[in-house]
Amino acid sequence: MVRYFIKKLITLVVLLLLVSITVFSVLYVLPGDPAQIILGLNATEETLANLRAELGLDRSFWVQYLGWIGDILSGKGSWSINYDMPVYDLILSRLAVTGPLALMAMLIGIVISVPLGIYAARHQNRPGDMIVMFFTQLGLATPEFWLGILLILLFAVKLGLFSAGGFPGWSVDVWGSLKALLLPAFALGVIRASILTRLTRSSMLDVLREDYVRTARAKGLRERSVVYVHALKNALVPVLTILGLQLGQLLAGAIIIENVYYLPGLGRLVFQAIGQRDLPVVREIVLFMAAAVIIVNFLVDMAYASIDPRIRLE
Amino acid sequence: MKKSLFVIFLLAVFLTAGNVLADTPKKGGSLVVCQAAEPQGLDPTGNTAAAIDRVVFANIYEGLIKVNSNGEFIPGLAITWIVSGDGLTYTFHLRQGVKFHNGQMFNAEVAKWNLERAMNEKTVNPHPEYFRVIAKMETPDEGTLIITLKDVDALFIAHMAEGDAVMLPMVGYKGAKSNPVGTGPFRFLKWVRGDRVEMARFDGYWNPELPYLDKVTFKFIGDASAQLAALKAGDIDVIGGIAAPESAMSLSKDKRFKVYAGTSTGEVIMSTNNKAAPFDNKKVRQAMAYAIDRQAVVDLVMFGYGTPIGSHWSPSTPYYVDLTQKFAYNPEKAKALLAEAGYPNGFDATIKLPAIYSYSKRAGEVIADMLGHVNIRLTIEIVEWGQWIERIFKKKEFQLTMIGHVEAWDIGIYANPNYYFQYDSQEFRDAYAKALKAPSEAEKAKWFGKCQEIIAEDAVNGFLFSASGLPAMKAEVMGWWKNYPTIAMDCTQVWLQ
Repeated sequence: MVRYFIKKLITLVVLLLLVSITVFSVLYVLPGDPAQIILGLNATEETLANLRAELGLDRSFWVQYLGWIGDILSGKGSWSINYDMPVYDLILSRLAVTGPLALMAMLIGIVISVPLGIYAARHQNRPGDMIVMFFTQLGLATPEFWLGILLILLFAVKLGLFSAGGFPGWSVDVWGSLKALLLPAFALGVIRASILTRLTRSSMLDVLREDYVRTARAKGLRERSVVYVHALKNALVPVLTILGLQLGQLLAGAIIIENVYYLPGLGRLVFQAIGQRDLPVVREIVLFMAAAVIIVNFLVDMAYASIDPRIRLE
Repeated sequence: MKKSLFVIFLLAVFLTAGNVLADTPKKGGSLVVCQAAEPQGLDPTGNTAAAIDRVVFANIYEGLIKVNSNGEFIPGLAITWIVSGDGLTYTFHLRQGVKFHNGQMFNAEVAKWNLERAMNEKTVNPHPEYFRVIAKMETPDEGTLIITLKDVDALFIAHMAEGDAVMLPMVGYKGAKSNPVGTGPFRFLKWVRGDRVEMARFDGYWNPELPYLDKVTFKFIGDASAQLAALKAGDIDVIGGIAAPESAMSLSKDKRFKVYAGTSTGEVIMSTNNKAAPFDNKKVRQAMAYAIDRQAVVDLVMFGYGTPIGSHWSPSTPYYVDLTQKFAYNPEKAKALLAEAGYPNGFDATIKLPAIYSYSKRAGEVIADMLGHVNIRLTIEIVEWGQWIERIFKKKEFQLTMIGHVEAWDIGIYANPNYYFQYDSQEFRDAYAKALKAPSEAEKAKWFGKCQEIIAEDAVNGFLFSASGLPAMKAEVMGWWKNYPTIAMDCTQVWLQ
């Protein structure tokens, strides 16, 4: 187990190093001089050179790269050009919006999809099922920004129950912040629910055809306990897998919804930073996202290995 | 009958009284202003982005000279400025007792330090050339700054009134990017990255009557429909400039809101690479100028909210000459000129449009259609902004592009043959030099007019229109600028009814 762990750990470090080199070199060769973008079209050559020197853009590739890695390893991280603050703090403050948003969206998705999926499976090909299937089809075809705008028009502009967007901040107003995330989370959640409902339904149908379900029924168990106790557990395995993938996706940034509701989330931050060539921010967020995936995979590998000895021996 | 007459009479009295009341500014209240782009830092002396000036200039920071809503130069931190007969010496009499938000005093020494900082060899000011014309500065006393120029500069005062020339305190200037300290009517409170900048009334402002508002918040909402929804839902009070002109029409019909179709300093031009065939041929460029129906461009791209231009000069800037009729829309003449230039069957070309500006993409499509009618077949290529800077602006790898130049008084870019459209004309350079050295208003008008005429005649670029600033706001917001003659959203005299 220890050998396996060390082997995997070395892979992890090498992988992270490769990712960092890739990210850095891609952004290094990316056209668009940050100095020119900052100083504008009418800037003089001299000022441009001064700013490049100040930002350290005039140094060689390896000096810049090693400097960056050094900053990260020493825990300092880089400094955002435009926001004039440490990128670490910037990421943390954005995660405080994107994280809860993603969780709320998934929660809404689950609350809607699991009961509906089960209901549809139990009433397969009957009118109830057809109606559910019709609406999930509609949900799949709906672009989330459009749903987002419709929700704003109804709840903010017509009814005045919510604000049209923005985020007051957790430290200022907890209830207001929660409320600000509700509409966007709903827009994201409803679309996710369409996929999850269909998945729950088909997975439930598969399970209900299994032998052990027939046995349970033959044993004289009540239908309710067959479905909710015995079948559901197994039916939810594929649903959970997809759920995890979607959560990862949402965390990486619901850029479009964040723009519609002008939420200061992670997705919008990357998007803006790319346009403005705030390279330290782009670099560090991409690395952060890649690291998150790599580390989660590492933990999953470890978990599998501790459960299943065959994996360790491979 | 009599009764209703009486009611009408009463109403009339009441309404007039109401109007008188309505015209007197009221103190207090807070305002939320929406702007599309978030500023890249809050220091206008280190970054030229208009988004920065629109938030901090005239609100947090001030310079020696201010611009009012009519585009006139008015006293800022300098009460008067006297120019010597030879146009070389400027004596600024500074306002006494002006305090920075951090308690430091503003005086001649501070003013001198600021100007020196902008022109020294390590400067990152986007426009050190504005200041390099200064030969020496003297401060005989706290309230007097005497500047001697190397050469006469007709634009010196105009430059001193821009965001690049604001006054920072000698202690505390280093944090200007994230913690701005100025002398303006509002002091900085906080910047919630990605969301808003908050500022509050500065009680120590040199004009005790101003500002009227207690608090101003700038909120950054990029999406055009989100901006509108926020205004209608009451989350924001003002949209600094409507991003989608098509929505201005319906908003202006709604009694709860008002929209100003004022002017701005910007010019939207179809930039043309004057060194790339076939655009190195003046006749081809003139043919294109004839082939463009400017009013139609304004109607289709800006839904009428803009003014056609005939040269690189906004109608809101002094010394404007209307040259829109020089190449009045005439596709037949365009075809004839093309034939004369050796292209009887037209030609193919590419226009590269920057993706971040919706007006640019729209105008590109409209122009492509118009030029198509005279057999100039354009292929449209959309490019990302960084790519635009790199390939078009720096490496000049383009034939045509479309961009708005927002800075006022920027016709000098035509005097630089290495600027991206690569226009090289000794005649223009001479005229511009004369304009800069013009000793009188009449001479300035003559030579700046001449500059406009030369580039119009050479059809250097496709001069299209100056867009309206299009501020939109709730009906109770008073004193907001109708025109934007400078790049700022000055809230000093804004009040709520």
